[in-house]
Amino acid sequence: MPQPSLPRRSVLAGATALGLAGTARAQTGSPRKGGALNVGINNDARTFDPIYSVQFSERQVLYLVFNTLVKYGPDFSIQPELADSWNVSPDGKSVTFQLHPGINFQDGTPFDAAVVKWNIDKRLDPATASPQRELLAPVIAAVEATGKLTVVFNLKEPYPGLFSLLGERAGFMVSPTAYEKLGKDFANAPVGTGAFLWKSWVRGSALTLERNPAYWEAGLPYLDSVVFRDLAGAVVGTQRLLTGELDVVMELSPQDIRVIDGKPGIALKPITLGRWYFLQWHVNTPPFDNAKLRQAFAHAIDRQRLNDIVMRGKGTVSDGPTPEGLWWNDPSIKAPAHDPARARALLTEAGYPNGFSFVLSTPQVAAFQQLNQLLQEQLAEAGIKVTLQTVGASEWYGRVVDGTTNLTPTRWVQRPDPDGLMYILFHSKGFANTTKYQNPEVDRLLDTARATYDVDLRKRLYSDAQRLIVADLPVAPLIFGAEYAAMVDKVRDFVWIPDQIPRFRSVWKAA
Amino acid sequence: MRHPSLQRAFGCTVIAVAVLLAVFAPLLAPADPNRSGVDMLDLPSLANLFGTDDLGRDIFSRVMHGAQPSLLIGFGAACVAMLIGVPIGLAGGYMRGRIDLLVVGVIDLFIALPGLILALIITAMVGATLRNLVLVLGFVMWPPVARLVRGQALAVREALFVEAARAVGGSHGWIIRRHVLPNILRVIAAQFAVSVSVAIFTSASLSFLGLGLPPPMPDWGGMVRSGFDYLSINPFMSLAPGAAVTLTVMGFYVVGTSFK
Repeated sequence: MPQPSLPRRSVLAGATALGLAGTARAQTGSPRKGGALNVGINNDARTFDPIYSVQFSERQVLYLVFNTLVKYGPDFSIQPELADSWNVSPDGKSVTFQLHPGINFQDGTPFDAAVVKWNIDKRLDPATASPQRELLAPVIAAVEATGKLTVVFNLKEPYPGLFSLLGERAGFMVSPTAYEKLGKDFANAPVGTGAFLWKSWVRGSALTLERNPAYWEAGLPYLDSVVFRDLAGAVVGTQRLLTGELDVVMELSPQDIRVIDGKPGIALKPITLGRWYFLQWHVNTPPFDNAKLRQAFAHAIDRQRLNDIVMRGKGTVSDGPTPEGLWWNDPSIKAPAHDPARARALLTEAGYPNGFSFVLSTPQVAAFQQLNQLLQEQLAEAGIKVTLQTVGASEWYGRVVDGTTNLTPTRWVQRPDPDGLMYILFHSKGFANTTKYQNPEVDRLLDTARATYDVDLRKRLYSDAQRLIVADLPVAPLIFGAEYAAMVDKVRDFVWIPDQIPRFRSVWKAA
Repeated sequence: MRHPSLQRAFGCTVIAVAVLLAVFAPLLAPADPNRSGVDMLDLPSLANLFGTDDLGRDIFSRVMHGAQPSLLIGFGAACVAMLIGVPIGLAGGYMRGRIDLLVVGVIDLFIALPGLILALIITAMVGATLRNLVLVLGFVMWPPVARLVRGQALAVREALFVEAARAVGGSHGWIIRRHVLPNILRVIAAQFAVSVSVAIFTSASLSFLGLGLPPPMPDWGGMVRSGFDYLSINPFMSLAPGAAVTLTVMGFYVVGTSFK
C-alpha cells in the first residue's frame, strides 16, 4: 500500500463534512470571564472513569474534566488537542504524535508520552476489562514513548479510524497518579487535564464542576463553574429555562421546543447531524432470516410520515446509515420505497399470505414510543401485526445486546470516521452487531476500507458496502432525527460538535 | 353531596355514561382513536374537542375508547377480589376457631403489603395484558374484602335465626348459603363498587408508571403519562383522561359507600 508520510490534518482532510461548514461562526462580543452555567441533563451516569464509561450523559461531563489526544471540529474534522501534530508512517502502520508541552494534570502530574502509553496500555490490558478494549485491541499492536513528548502508536494494520477513536472515550487521558492512588474512587473523583475540576456529585440532583485555574489553553475556560442539574423530562427543562433557573437544556425534541420557540431571550441550537434511527431484527434466525419478510417490512414503512410526525418534519428520511453532510454519504443509495401493496405481495412471497405477527420492543423513550405506534399503524396496512412490548429505558439496550430482544428500533449518534458505525454495526465481528448480520462481501469491503488512508478509495468501498447493506436489510433505515439545545441568549459561543456532546470550554455568559 | 340518594344519583349517572361509552365508543366517537395525523398537540377545536395528542390522534375519541379497558379491568378485578375474598372471609367469620386464626393471619399479612407496590412487582414479572391486570389487581384487592366479610359473618352467626337454623340441624354450607350470605349481600355489593373504583385507580397508576396496557390501546393512565411531557403545549392530553379516571373512580366509590 503506497503511503506518503502525511502531515497532521491531511489524513482526514477529506473527512471534512461538506454540509457542516460555517457552523462555528462566533457570536458578536468579546468573551467575558466568570459566572456559573446551569445545564439541565437527563443524567443516567454510572461512572465517571473514562476507561469504563459507556453512557452518553457521562461524556457530557468527561469532556470538561478531561482532554482527548485529538479533538473533533464542528465539521467533524480531526484537530489537535493534547497532541499538537502527528505523522503517519509510509506503510500506514505507525502513527507518531507530538504532544503539547507543559501540560499538567489537575493533581500536578505532568502530562507526557509515558502517560499516553500508560493510558492506552491500561485500556488494552484484559485485566482492566475496559469496554474500549474491543475497539483498540484489534488495531493497536503497541504504544511506545520514544521521547518525552513523542509517542508512537504501532498498528496491526493501517487504520485511519484511530483518530476518531482518540477523540472520544479511548482518547481521554487520565492522571495515572490519581488513578493509582484513588483506585475505584476515581470514578467519583476523576482527575484529568481538562478545563474544569470535579467538585461534587449529588446523585439525582446536581453535578458541579469548577474552573481549573491552571488550565493549559491560555485564557480558557471563561466560566467559573458548570452545574449539571438532573431533569425529570423535557417539560420541566423548558419551564426551568423560562424561569431562568437553567441556562442550557439539551436533548429537546421538535415537539418539546414548541413552548420556547420564538420566546424572547431564548436561543435554539439544532444539532448538526441527526441520530440515525432504524428498525432491527435478528437476521440469522427465523423469522427474520427471510429476506422477503424484511423487504415487506421495509416497503410497509412510510419514513416521510415518521419524520413528519415524530420529528415535526425537522429531521430527514434515512436511505441508509449515513446522513447528508458526511463524506461517505452516497445519495444514489435508496432504501425500499413506501408501497403497502408491494409489501403485501412480498409478505405472501415470504410465506405469510395471511399476515405476520411479532412483538416490537418499545423502550420508554418518547421518540421510540411514538415511532413504534406509527410503525404499528403503518405495518398493519400491509398485513403485519406488531404488538408493542414496553421495556424500561435502562434495561432495553442490555436486552438488545444479549439477544433477548429481536425486533426493536434503535438509534446511534454519528461518528467522525465511517469505520465508527459501519464496522461495529455491520461487520460480522463488529461488537455492536446485534442483528448477527454476516455478509462476507461487506466484511471484505469494510476490512479494506478501514485499512487505507486513501479517502477516494474509502468513499467507493463504503458506498459499495452501504449499497449491499441497504439491499440485505440487516436493519430497516427510518430517519435521521432532529434535536435541539435551548439556552438563554446570555450564553455565547456555543457550537455543536456533531457527536451531540456539548463542550463548554469556550462558552461564556454575557452580563 | 352529603345526602346518600344524591350521591347515588351522581354515581349512577357517571357509571351509566362510562358503561355506555365502554359499549358504544366505536359508534359514538367522532374519530378513529388510533389514526395518527400530522397536526400534533393541537389545542381543543370543534374538529378535536380535546385537541390532538403527540401523534396527531383525536384525544376526545381516545378518552371515549379508554372507558372500555378501564371498566373491564375494574369489573374483572373486583370479581376476582370477591371470588377470593368472600369465601375466605365467610370461612373465617363463620367457622371461628383455628380456621379463623389462619384467615386473620393471612389477611393481616397481605394488608401489611402496600397494594400498589405488590401490583407493580407482579405486573412487572408477568407482563401487562388485560387478563394479567385483572388477575393481579383482583389478587391485590381481596384482603380488604375478606376482612369485611369476616366481620359481618362473625356478627351474623351469633344472630338468633342462625342459632335456630343450627338447632334444626342445618349443615354449615346450607346455613352460610341460606342465612349468612343473604344477610351480608348488601355489604358485599357496596364493597364490590368500591373495589371497582380502587381497581380502575390502581390500574391507571400502574399505567402511569409504565406498566399499563401496551399502546396504542387508549388507556387512561397511560394517556395521562404520555401527555405529561406536553403539559405546556396541550394540557388536555393529560387532563382529559385524568378527569375521566377521577370521575369514574368517584362514581363507583360514592355508589359503594352510599350503600354501606
